[in-house]
Amino acid sequence: MLKKRIIGVVTVKAGWAVQSFGYYSYLPLGKPEILVENLDRWNADEILIQVIDRSENHLGPDFQLIERLGKLGLETPLIYSGGIRSEEDGVRLIQLGADRVVVDALLFDNINKVRDLSEHIGAQAVIASLPLSWKGDELKYLNYRSRESVSISDRVIELIKSRCISEVLISDWEHEGMPNGFEIKLIEKFPLKDTPLIAFGGISNPSQMRALLDLNDISAVAIGNFLNYHEHAIQKYKEALIDLPLRFTSYESIFN
Amino acid sequence: MNSYSIGIVDYGLGNHASVIHSLKDIGVKALSTDKISDLNAVDILMLPGVGAFPPAMNSLHNRGLVDYIREQANLKRPIIGICLGMQLLAESSFEHKHTTGLGLIPGSIQAFSNLGNHIGWNTLKFLNMESTYSNSKNNDEAFYFNHSFFYQGPSEYQVATTQHSIVFPSIIKNGNVVGLQFHPEKSQLAGKIFLKNLITDMMNA
Amino acid sequence: MIKFCKRCLYSNTHPLGLTFDHEGICSGCRIHEEKDKLDWAERWEKLKAIIKPYRNKDGKNYDCIVPVTGGQDSYYIVYLAKVLLGLNPLLVTYNKYFNTPLGINNLANLKIRFNCDLLYQNVNPLSVKKITRTTLRKLGSIYWPILAGHTVFPVQTAVRFKIPLIIWGAHQGIEQVGMFSHLHEVEMTRRYRKDHDLMGYEADDLLSVFDTLKEEDIWQYRYPMDCELNSLGVRGIYLSNFVRWDPKKQHEEMIADFGYRTAKFERTFDTYDYVDCFNYMDLHDQLKLYKHGFSKVTDHATREIRHQRLSREKGLNLVKKYEQKNLKYSKLFMKWLGVNERSLQFILDQHRNPKFWTQTEFGQWKFNGWSAQNNFSNINSSQHSCITFEVNDKLESNKDVNYITIGKGWSY
Repeated sequence: MLKKRIIGVVTVKAGWAVQSFGYYSYLPLGKPEILVENLDRWNADEILIQVIDRSENHLGPDFQLIERLGKLGLETPLIYSGGIRSEEDGVRLIQLGADRVVVDALLFDNINKVRDLSEHIGAQAVIASLPLSWKGDELKYLNYRSRESVSISDRVIELIKSRCISEVLISDWEHEGMPNGFEIKLIEKFPLKDTPLIAFGGISNPSQMRALLDLNDISAVAIGNFLNYHEHAIQKYKEALIDLPLRFTSYESIFN
Repeated sequence: MNSYSIGIVDYGLGNHASVIHSLKDIGVKALSTDKISDLNAVDILMLPGVGAFPPAMNSLHNRGLVDYIREQANLKRPIIGICLGMQLLAESSFEHKHTTGLGLIPGSIQAFSNLGNHIGWNTLKFLNMESTYSNSKNNDEAFYFNHSFFYQGPSEYQVATTQHSIVFPSIIKNGNVVGLQFHPEKSQLAGKIFLKNLITDMMNA
Repeated sequence: MIKFCKRCLYSNTHPLGLTFDHEGICSGCRIHEEKDKLDWAERWEKLKAIIKPYRNKDGKNYDCIVPVTGGQDSYYIVYLAKVLLGLNPLLVTYNKYFNTPLGINNLANLKIRFNCDLLYQNVNPLSVKKITRTTLRKLGSIYWPILAGHTVFPVQTAVRFKIPLIIWGAHQGIEQVGMFSHLHEVEMTRRYRKDHDLMGYEADDLLSVFDTLKEEDIWQYRYPMDCELNSLGVRGIYLSNFVRWDPKKQHEEMIADFGYRTAKFERTFDTYDYVDCFNYMDLHDQLKLYKHGFSKVTDHATREIRHQRLSREKGLNLVKKYEQKNLKYSKLFMKWLGVNERSLQFILDQHRNPKFWTQTEFGQWKFNGWSAQNNFSNINSSQHSCITFEVNDKLESNKDVNYITIGKGWSY
C-alpha cells in the first residue's frame, strides 16, 4: 500500500539555507548542501530544496546548487523549487540530479510552459506550488512577487484537472514558522477533490500531522524550520505517528 | 561481496550519482558510459531512466544502443532496468504515442487510469516466495516509486507486484533481464540491500 | 555586496550567515533583543522541568555531562549545573595541546572548587599534528582537531558511560548571528557541528578528500552512529536558551566567587575568554582576519554593543586598535608543528581572502576588511563610559611560555 510521506524542506535565500517566517523574515542556518545531506541521513521520504529569491530577481533556477547536490550521491528523492521558467530549465534540473520539480511563478507567467514541461519529464515529476491563505471565508492565492492575494484562477484549476501536474504543494505562507500554525481549512476548502495535496507551513507537532495525514487528499506533509531544532527530528515525528501509513523510522547504524 | 562491476548505460537522461553511490556502498564498481567497449567490459548492464518513453527510445537510437542492448540480451548478459529503464525493456508503450521498446520482455506500458500517478514509498509482494532477492521474506520494506505508466504483460514474467489504484507488476524478469519499476538508488537502506541481493543472485545464476 | 548591520559591527559575510530585516538590523541583534523581552524566571522553571527526568535516582551514575575547558564559560556552566540545579555532572575535557599554564590552573581549580569528577581525553600528538598540518594547508585552520575533539568527546562519553544528557553553555550561532530564537530551544545536532564547528568537514570527509590522512589519524573524531545516540536518547541542551546569557557579567561573578583567573591579550580588550589557549587569540585569530576580514575583537565589540555597554563608534575604535596587533606566540606553534617561519607565512598568505586583502608588493598586503569598509555615521552614538575587564594573572602564569600537557607535570 502506498505510504504517505514526510518531506524535509530546505529553504535557500542568497545562497544560504535559512529559516523562513511568514514569507517575511529569515534567520540564517548554514550551507544548503549540509542541511540536505543531513535530511538524507535522517531518511526523509523526500527532500525539497526551495530557492526563494530566483524568480523575483529574474534569475533562472540555481543550476550550480542542484549540480552540487547531484554530486552528493543522495539516497533520498530530491525535489527542486525556484526560478523555473521553461521546459528546458526543468529538463536541465532533472539532468543535474533533481527527481521532481516545483513550479510557482511560472503558473502566473506562462502556464502553457508547464504543460510542455510535463510532457517532457512526466507529470509525476512536476508539482504546482500554491501559497494560500484563508481570509474572511475565502481561499486566497498569493502571488509572492507582487504580494497580492487573488482567487485561484480557472486556468490554474484547469491545469490541475488536466493532470499534467502530479501534486499540489499548499503553503500556508502566513503561518510559516509558527508552531502549530497550519490552517487546515486550506486543505478542507480546496476547490478540487481527488487531487493529491502536500501541506506545508507552520506544521510543528504530531497531532497536526495526524489530522492532516488522515485527510484523503493529503499525500504528504512538508516540514521546514521545525526540523532544525533537534537531532533526529524526522525520526521522532514518525515515532509519534507510528500507527499511520508512513514508512517506518530508521537510524543510521553500523549495518548500513 | 566479490568485486562485481556495473555499466550504467548513459543515454543522456538523468543523473547517475545516486546509483553509483549506492552501488559503491555495497561494494560494486560502477561507471556511467555510452561507449560500447566499456559496456562490454562490465559484469552487469544497468539501464536507468527518467522522463518519458518516446524521447528515451530516441536517445537510445541516436547513440546506436538499441541494437547493442538487444544483442547483449541474446547473449544472456545480465541487464537491470530501473523505472523508465524497466519500461524500455517492454515491447511497446502508449505514453504520448505508440512507441516500440527494446522488446526484451513481452508486454506493454500503459497509463494509470484517470491519468493517475504512483508517487511515494510502496511495498512489494513477491509472487514466488523462494525468490532469493525477496529481502528475507520481509514484505514490509517500502521502495520509492515515481511513475505514471506501468507494465502490463504475461504473468510468467512477473516477479513482484505492488498495490496502487490497481495491482501492477513492480519487478519483471525474462531470463537474465530484470526490470524494477521503483528506484532502488533512492530507497535508502532498503534499496541498497535489495540491489546487493539482486546482483548476487544475477551473478550466481 | 558587503552590507553592515545598522546596530552592531557584523556584516553579511559572517561565516555563520547573517540576515537583515527590513530596518537593516541583523538577525544577531534582533535575537539579542529577546534577552530583555523574555521572562527568564519562567525559562528557568522550564529548564528545571527538562532536566528533572535525568536526575539519577540511585546515585550510581552521573546526571549529565558538562564539557569544560580552562577558559570560556566553563565555570559558569558548572556553577549553574552543580550549584543551582543540584546536578551531579561528569566534567569532560579535550586536550587542545596549546594549553597555557593559566588555563591548566583554571581547570584544576574548577574541579577542586566545584568538587567534580573530570574525564580527560588526549589524542596522540602525531595524529593531531598530521591533521593540523592538513587542515592548516587546505582549510587555513589550526583548530580543526580542537573543535572536533571538544564537540565529539562529550557525545562519545555519553554513549560509552550511558549518560544521555549533555549540558552546553552558549549556542554560538544564537549568540553571534541569531541563528535561532531562544524560544526554539535548539539542541545539539550533528548538522551544526559539521556545518559550523568543522567548516563542512567531518572526520571521514578529511579522509576522503585529503590523501595525507589515514583512518588511524581521524577515527577518534568520528561522531557516534545515529542508532547509538537514539537507543540511549543522547541529548545536548544549551543553558543560554534558559538563562539570560551575558559572558562578561558571568565571568566577573566567577572571578569574585570561585577564583577564575584572567589575562590580558594583545589582540582584544576582553580578558576572560580563551585564556586557556596560546593560539586562539593569536595565530588562530590572525587566520580569522585573513579569511573572513574580521577577528575576535569584532565579536567581543559586537557583543558589548548589543549589551549596551559600548557604543558602535567606541566598538569600532577598539576593533581598529586591536585587530592588527602582532602575534606573540607563533614561534611556539612553529616549534610544535615543525614548520619554519617562511613556510608558515606562505601558507597563511594563501588563505588571505581577496575580498579583504590585496597584495601591494611582495610581502606587503593592504587590508580592506570589515573595519575598513564599515563607514557609518555617528549621528546617534551615545556616550557609554569606558568598558573595563579585570586582569589578575598572565597566560603563562608563574611558569614559562610553553604548552602544558596535563599529567606530565612539566612542559615540553
